[in-house]
Amino acid sequence: MSAIPVPRLALPRAGIFRRFASQEALLALAVIGLAIAVGFVNPRFLAYRNLADILLGNAYIAIAAIGMSMVIISGNIDISVGALIGVLATVSGSLAVAGAPTLVAWIVPVVLGVLVMAAQGAVVAYLRIPAIVVTLGMMSILKGGLISVTGGKWITDLPQGFHLADLNLLGVPMPVAIMVVATALAALWMRYSASGRAIYATGGNAEAARLCGVNPQRTVVMVFALHGFFAGIATLVYATQLRVIQSTTPPGLELTVITAAVVGGVSILGGVGTVVGATLAAILIAEITSALVFVNISPYWTDSLRGGLILATVIADIVRRRRRASRGRRI
Amino acid sequence: MSVFAASPGRRVPKWLARHETLLAIILVAALAGLGAFNNRFLTVDNLLNQGRLMTEIGLIALPMTFVIITGGIDLSVGAIVGLSAVMLGYSWKTFGFPLPLAIAFALAVGGLAGFVNGFVITRVKVPPLIMTIATLALYRGLAEGVSQARSVRGYPEWFYGLGQGEWLGVPTQLLLLVVLIVIAGVALDRTTFGRTLYAIGSNETAARFSALDVDRTKVVIYTLSGLASGLAAVVLVSRVTTTRMDMGMGYELDVIAAVVLGGTSIFGGAGTIWGTVIGLVMIQLLKNGLALTGVKGDATIVVIGVALIMSTLIASSLQRRRE
Amino acid sequence: MKARYLTTAAAAALALAGLATAANAAGKWDGGDDLATSPLECGMGPAAPAAPMKYDGGQPTNAADKAGKEIVVVDVPKLIGIGYFNATAKGIQDAAKDIGNVKAKTDGPTEAKIDEQIKFIDNYITSGVDGILFAANDPVAIAPVLKKALSKGIHVVGYDANSTPDAREWFVNQSPFNGIAKSMVDAMAKETGEDGSFAIVTSTFTTPNQARWIAEMQAYAAKCHPKLNWLETVEAQEDNNLSFNQATTLINKHGDKLKGIFGMTSVATPASAEAVTKAGQCGKVAVVGLATPNAMKPYVHSDCVKSVVLWNPIDLGYAATYVMRAAVDGKLKPGDTSVDAGKLGKLNVINGSEILLGAPYIFDKANIDKFDF
Repeated sequence: MSAIPVPRLALPRAGIFRRFASQEALLALAVIGLAIAVGFVNPRFLAYRNLADILLGNAYIAIAAIGMSMVIISGNIDISVGALIGVLATVSGSLAVAGAPTLVAWIVPVVLGVLVMAAQGAVVAYLRIPAIVVTLGMMSILKGGLISVTGGKWITDLPQGFHLADLNLLGVPMPVAIMVVATALAALWMRYSASGRAIYATGGNAEAARLCGVNPQRTVVMVFALHGFFAGIATLVYATQLRVIQSTTPPGLELTVITAAVVGGVSILGGVGTVVGATLAAILIAEITSALVFVNISPYWTDSLRGGLILATVIADIVRRRRRASRGRRI
Repeated sequence: MSVFAASPGRRVPKWLARHETLLAIILVAALAGLGAFNNRFLTVDNLLNQGRLMTEIGLIALPMTFVIITGGIDLSVGAIVGLSAVMLGYSWKTFGFPLPLAIAFALAVGGLAGFVNGFVITRVKVPPLIMTIATLALYRGLAEGVSQARSVRGYPEWFYGLGQGEWLGVPTQLLLLVVLIVIAGVALDRTTFGRTLYAIGSNETAARFSALDVDRTKVVIYTLSGLASGLAAVVLVSRVTTTRMDMGMGYELDVIAAVVLGGTSIFGGAGTIWGTVIGLVMIQLLKNGLALTGVKGDATIVVIGVALIMSTLIASSLQRRRE
Repeated sequence: MKARYLTTAAAAALALAGLATAANAAGKWDGGDDLATSPLECGMGPAAPAAPMKYDGGQPTNAADKAGKEIVVVDVPKLIGIGYFNATAKGIQDAAKDIGNVKAKTDGPTEAKIDEQIKFIDNYITSGVDGILFAANDPVAIAPVLKKALSKGIHVVGYDANSTPDAREWFVNQSPFNGIAKSMVDAMAKETGEDGSFAIVTSTFTTPNQARWIAEMQAYAAKCHPKLNWLETVEAQEDNNLSFNQATTLINKHGDKLKGIFGMTSVATPASAEAVTKAGQCGKVAVVGLATPNAMKPYVHSDCVKSVVLWNPIDLGYAATYVMRAAVDGKLKPGDTSVDAGKLGKLNVINGSEILLGAPYIFDKANIDKFDF
């Protein structure tokens, strides 16, 4: 490397598909490699049941990470997503217990998620307040508001039909099916549609995007609305998995979702990234958590190992990207 | 340089259009309002006590202002507080270090943790958010592993002077904070170091071409961030008389809220220490004033959220109108 | 590339350190603390009364004489917005109504953070209340601010989670740690057989009450059920989904070897029961734990969970309020051996400055529907 780094956002466009593919491949390799390594220590880790449980129990994080990666690619960030999922879960559960038709209990949180996030996107785009301020404020509002309203009373006695996560789609458990379909659709849309490409353009260079006929403001609102949509879908999986809903915000969920998105190869400076990477990263993080129990590490050390492994993945990815970038420059 | 400095101030004086000034006006108005509701709020005792309680966040907010001005961020500060606190207790109790040495060791570990952040960010070119999100988990995990989740208690009495004592009626740690605020403010405003930070934040490539040592400056500020977190840990342990591995959890968001509320641009290139101090005081006194007025904790959080958005909104729209 | 090797080396070093610590700590259940334990006698016999101790609490200085007059009391629990502390808050309101001249309010942090809790108590000292009820997130860290309250003439009574004794006047003890430990371990041994293997799902290793219970459970198991086999302890915060995932991981890891799971919190227990249900292991893996009844009803009714251990948190808040009133009125003084607690009758003083609520309560299929919290 020379002393002056290549600005990350100015990479040649022709290489973009290749870079996507290898970014995802690295994570997929890590997911598989870790499974095999842990399988040597404890073969039970590779049992179908366990691998399925890891996916089932963490699908909601992967789904939320899809929207988060879009937000980050557009050059913004969202800290309110954990609190929002807590609020939406409570709304959904309360509706179901109050006797609303199941479909209503499922659709309302998604619509509400879109509205709340689109509103935040509008404040970010049109009033030009940094996303970190808006979403940090919104996190406070949602968190405090939820406890003020519910007093933290748990929602129990949910009707049987409410539990979307217990259903199967063509033999695949619903959370996994939703995760796969949502990731695939989002990835195709991001890659091939004009509005999907506009997100990359906005995140890369808003001024240049404007000159190319992209409306950066509208794009940001759209991205936040989509993020709200995925947060709503994630809520459905999250809220219908267990028999009770806690009516509080899941502790640290926003950080888990952001971590998944950035480990997935989304540059925080905006402009580059992939939703498939985010989903794979969410799976990898969940897999690490489970693997550390399986290999009999002292539980006092699991958190530092998880941090170390995340760091290793990130650094490996950056190093690989940098080498590719410098090779690209030589050509 | 900052967008504020570039704004033409033909009719209104330039200082009046600054974010910090506007924020200070909002702050005074809010305080007057809350003071009218409650006669226990605007008393010297209460205000000094609030100063004591906000010192840990304040200490970390100073280097965080530097970091954010360069367009970076440091999410690992809360975890470093935990790690340094554990190192203080562990080295004192288990290694048998004399307490002053243990304090130095805790500060060194904090500085080292920050240095590692800065080193990897500049050498491996890992974006700061990604690096510090990973070390957030790593440092907190180390704190748990080293301490085995055990608390350390029973420090000698003299050590509590820092966190609980006072000097001429002013809480000891508040004096420390004030001294560091002045140093940080002068460093940012009046030195080459400060100008380098703004240059990096405005345009890093240009800064490099101007022969500024960008990488070394960055390593320095991340190290300072770790060092300040270590210092905050020492103050905190002294205030609450015990060491726990979960100390400082969630500090990163409190610190960042104070800094961005103070007008430092998250995109880099603009911001001041004075703004950060106003942001810090505003959040602390708003929480306190609301609590004394009888507003409950959950509602207070909502008000803080609204205040964060609204005051940024008001300050930026007023400023735009004046321009 | 070098950085990657460095990181790998660092991770390897960490792993080694972890293994070394694991080896050092062998013989100790993870999640327990290092304080001395006092396991109860095996079997059903009544616990021997503890030797009387001298009063070791603190006293407020120059407290205004409010005997018989209305007092304003604030309750600062570990956190607000969870079922357990909602129940204690309800008990406090019930008692305030029964007593008549107490105005009570519950306020506290939304997460169980000692920092935040200290700020809440500090604010209420400034605003000038007559009494503070608390459940401490850390027994030592909370002491300075409680001592400050005492020094300003404010009465201080704890419940659920204690502070160091000299930082408060009285502490209402829901049930001694060794009593809870005995109930839990006896229930587990009964369900899994004397040689069953079990694992523990706890909140975090730093939560004082949970660490105490685990240490007492180990001591009691060693004394009375020596063949019970502890497998491991996992952390799951106070997070429903994480608790569920951790319990599922335990079931998948240990397979048929796992005969039981202890849930150490009111979040971990229902989530563990759900994990056992989802895995189709009802009847094969027993779930024993501390939990509130509403969340456990489905599992108790489906026979997946036989018994749930808990004291009645409403009674706990109720008793704490009566103790506060009695302390203000001068009816409960250092050296007294009992206190009147309204509908709960007379409660005894133990360990110098603690008031004992009673034995832990066992919820089962027959009585769980009578409770709603």
